[in-house]
Amino acid sequence: MLKVENLIAGYGKVQVLHGISLDVADGALVTLIGSNGAGKTTTLRALSGMIAPSQGTIMLGQQGAGSQSVQLENITGLPAHQITRRGVAHSPEGRRVFATLPVEDNLLLGAFPRFTGSRPIGQPAADLERMYDLFPRLRERRRQLAGTLSGGEQQMLAMARALMLNPAVLMLDEPSMGLAPKLVSEVFATIARLKESKITMLLVEQFAAAALEVADFGYVLENGRISASGPAEKLRNDPAVQAAYLGAAH
Amino acid sequence: MDILAQLIVSGISVGMIYGVIAFGYQLTFATSKTLNFGQGEALMLGALVGLTTINFLIATGMGTLLAFILMLPIVLIFGMMQGAVVEFLGVRQAMRTKSEAGWIMATIALGIIFKNLAENFWGRDALRFPSPLPEQALSVGAVRIQPMEIAILLGALGLMIAVEVFNRKSIYGKAVVATALDRDAAGLMGIDTRLVITFSYALSSMSAAFAGVLVAPITLTGAAMGGALGLKAFAVAIIGGLSSGYGVVVGGMILGITENLTGYYISTGYKDVPGLLLLLLVLSVKPAGLFGSTAIKKV
Repeated sequence: MLKVENLIAGYGKVQVLHGISLDVADGALVTLIGSNGAGKTTTLRALSGMIAPSQGTIMLGQQGAGSQSVQLENITGLPAHQITRRGVAHSPEGRRVFATLPVEDNLLLGAFPRFTGSRPIGQPAADLERMYDLFPRLRERRRQLAGTLSGGEQQMLAMARALMLNPAVLMLDEPSMGLAPKLVSEVFATIARLKESKITMLLVEQFAAAALEVADFGYVLENGRISASGPAEKLRNDPAVQAAYLGAAH
Repeated sequence: MDILAQLIVSGISVGMIYGVIAFGYQLTFATSKTLNFGQGEALMLGALVGLTTINFLIATGMGTLLAFILMLPIVLIFGMMQGAVVEFLGVRQAMRTKSEAGWIMATIALGIIFKNLAENFWGRDALRFPSPLPEQALSVGAVRIQPMEIAILLGALGLMIAVEVFNRKSIYGKAVVATALDRDAAGLMGIDTRLVITFSYALSSMSAAFAGVLVAPITLTGAAMGGALGLKAFAVAIIGGLSSGYGVVVGGMILGITENLTGYYISTGYKDVPGLLLLLLVLSVKPAGLFGSTAIKKV
């Protein structure tokens, strides 16, 4: 689980987030919606350590080994690789697959902390197979260079690569971006499957309707502040959210 | 015709030395977009540390070849440490402050300091490095080849192949490649990219130190040996392409051979000119290098 309080972050002197608080409960799918430039991507970047927040706290909770107690750890300001090693996987905006490496190497790199002993190793080979079952296209193209994949396939690769960490929290940044409508629904179907397997997820989406359809809980981000939050179903039926983000068609 | 063949063959081994040093430039450029302009001094230090080590081992009654082989790991480890020091003192700070040129001056300065240290430690005179292989040249047809020249060729290729296999096969090597391709994304994989950059500097100086002990037996060893080699290897890196692995091998050979040909057919005084002309030509026609993919900075 993630517990974020009063997060302030930005780039250089430009402050983008003006104090954001949000919770991602264990096993929940939480979505962060908002228009372009609201700060969705910046939020994920601050959570995964790609940028250092200037204020606020980010707590990461993990099930203690064998016990019911949850261990809370302050991960604010840690560099990205340290946060990843603690189990936060971030599939970034623009996919960022390693273009001149084969698909399979991209997936193995997703599990890097497991190979180096900073996370439990588990069974990487079995997980690789699971990813290929989840995304059969990737199995067909396992030896191909990631840069030769189509946009939709690269998105699947980016998601699978993040899953290879066996993450405590999976953060997805705009998985539907730039994809044809058919592929968008495929991506959301995959997210729904992941939700069934109780993976804790924080989903950033511009495609608010679909995100609120699949999520348990939602936050609306507006100019770097949370302007509304609540169970996804409630947000879906909120007239203000409908008008601003879901199209006024209802 | 025989002379031509002879000139080409001996140009190849010199070219391979340029190639290995240039390969070192590529290693750090790939991960950090910075270079160690003291690469020639890394070579010189490697050769001198190797000289002291091999002389010590020979003094214990060991044969030269065995002493050379036992010396290699010491030189390689020394090279790695020296490279890590250069990264730590000269590059890391400049990268943190996003300085565009700080690392250039810092690595040049460190190179000068290393040269001064070497002059005080080993003196200013050129020293003789014991040759681990017979100095009697072998005859292949009309061409005469020194055994050490063959060792240079094999050693240089062996080193580059070893690094390539490491990059392709091991998860740590893949982490280096990932860092080179997209540093931010590599960080999200849990890779400590700063450590990877330190490591690439270590590997780069290690390559130079290795080139130093390969070339030392057929040339003179001393504090001044690195400067020209480092600069020429830089030309090779530009000619071959800073992003193309085999480009430096071909670029090194082109430079080594043209130097030899000019030296014989025109004048040794103009030996360096054709290579540098080629450098200027490449820069104006194909700035990414003959074999490089576009490395030009978009402004």
